[in-house]
Amino acid sequence: MERNEILEKVQDVFREELELDDLELTDETTADDVEEWDSLSHVQLVVALEKAFGIKFTSREILSWDNVGDLVDCIAKK
Amino acid sequence: MVVNSLTFLWFFLVVMAVYYLCQPKKQVQNIFLLVCSYWFYAQIDVKMTGLLGVLTLAFWLMGHGIGKAIEKEKERQASLLTTLSVAVGIGALFYFKYLDFFIGSFVAAANLIGLHLSWTTLHLVVPVGLSFFTFKLMSYTLDIYHGKIERERNVLDFANYIAFFPTILSGPIDRPKPFLKQLKQSRLFIPDNLMSGFRRVLWGMFMKMCIADRLDLYVSAVWNNYEHHSASSILFASLLYPFQMYADFSGYSEMAIGVALMLGFKVAENFKRPFFTINIAQYWSRWHMTLTSWLTDYVFMPLNIKLRDWGTNGTIAAIMLNMTFIGMWHGADWTFFLFGIYHGLWYIPLMVSGQFFKKTKIKVNSHGWPTSPFVMKMVGNYLVVTFGLMLFHSNNISEFWDVLCRLPQAWNGSLFFDMPTLANAAICSIALIYVDIQEEWFPKKRLYLPTWAERWRWELTVAVEIVAILLFGIFDSNQFIYFQF
Repeated sequence: MERNEILEKVQDVFREELELDDLELTDETTADDVEEWDSLSHVQLVVALEKAFGIKFTSREILSWDNVGDLVDCIAKK
Repeated sequence: MVVNSLTFLWFFLVVMAVYYLCQPKKQVQNIFLLVCSYWFYAQIDVKMTGLLGVLTLAFWLMGHGIGKAIEKEKERQASLLTTLSVAVGIGALFYFKYLDFFIGSFVAAANLIGLHLSWTTLHLVVPVGLSFFTFKLMSYTLDIYHGKIERERNVLDFANYIAFFPTILSGPIDRPKPFLKQLKQSRLFIPDNLMSGFRRVLWGMFMKMCIADRLDLYVSAVWNNYEHHSASSILFASLLYPFQMYADFSGYSEMAIGVALMLGFKVAENFKRPFFTINIAQYWSRWHMTLTSWLTDYVFMPLNIKLRDWGTNGTIAAIMLNMTFIGMWHGADWTFFLFGIYHGLWYIPLMVSGQFFKKTKIKVNSHGWPTSPFVMKMVGNYLVVTFGLMLFHSNNISEFWDVLCRLPQAWNGSLFFDMPTLANAAICSIALIYVDIQEEWFPKKRLYLPTWAERWRWELTVAVEIVAILLFGIFDSNQFIYFQF
């Protein structure tokens, strides 16, 4: 899967989970930029992403993400 | 040396003068700052200064090892060293703060089942600020392991982060990344920093000396002799206690943040008007914020991630453990354990109803004030917090139980009303509530001043605060409540 496609799919998951239809994600987007993205919704997002991509993240991977770009890179490596 | 004392004032004036004479040589400033921080700590706890130094060096070395292992992609070595660092941090906390408590509890439990153990407690003295600086130490190695920061190559800068004197005694618990970054820049003499910092110090002194210490006269008079007081007096004192705690700890944080700002450092905020909240989750996101966010990042999040396949039950388990940690962080007693459990239990209905996962915003009317249903919820939340703090204030479980049992028995007595103390405290509390309301609901509005006075706003505010402190302040100062932790 191309990196752009991954970002698009991640965006769809975020939109659905956070109930934000017009959310636009870039590599630089962080939790500080999206009010609804906090420590709680983060775990919900992780579960939804694992389901959507059929993968499993390690705790260290999840805790090391600083922005959407890190998350997309992590999925791309799987 | 108490922060709101004359001794500290002289110490700080000398520090400031020399510190800014060293500008723009940042390395000289940093070395001087480190000497001052250790000297300050030695004035309070000279015996434990060595421990502070040894732990700092040990964590710097472990951080160095973790960083190198990550660079060489030796995942197992990095993981082992990180685990070791957490074990050392928790071990230091456990040994000094909790060992006596566990020995005592174990012996008591053994006695209950007929085993008479002759173990004695060690009567260890808890190093001042231990709970605060061990958390800073652990966040450093954990952040390196999780790729949030690089290892700090300069041991003196790292030591400065840990021992920074404005925050070492009672926080705020700053994170390594923003603080270490500031150490890499020279701090120049900027009048704006000095003026803003000084205002925050004064405001903190006002909260501590005019509100917290004055309310303490009443609250302690009732709580320390609860068996002689009526139910109405106990309830009234209990209702005042959360506000006293807020004025005390938020006042200390204001002073610490202000002193740091005067030295050119921005440290994390610790309070954000915590009583303008409608549930316990919102309350903890605004009360002792640096502790809450530390535990969220290093306890709750990893637990919640590990238990994510359990759904809401996993989140409940993570929250309960997290809140138990918060409770026990405050002290080694069953009261603090129950305090944590009590708060954790209030999260369950929020999680089950889904409110926990949605951000409920407080609705305001056309004038900008919160609507009455939300005001009622805020009052309700204050009562929930009050009951928890009754546990917190009790010396042990049996005292808490005695107080509860006294409430239905002592309705006949009259309310103890210490008019001068409460009147003074009320006048100052109104000022604090006014400022909090303005910042929360009307942040753009400022107190009207005539045109001629507007250009002197800063000077006038400072003058009013100084006069208020001189008029209403208590100068034979109490320790800050959070120093004991």
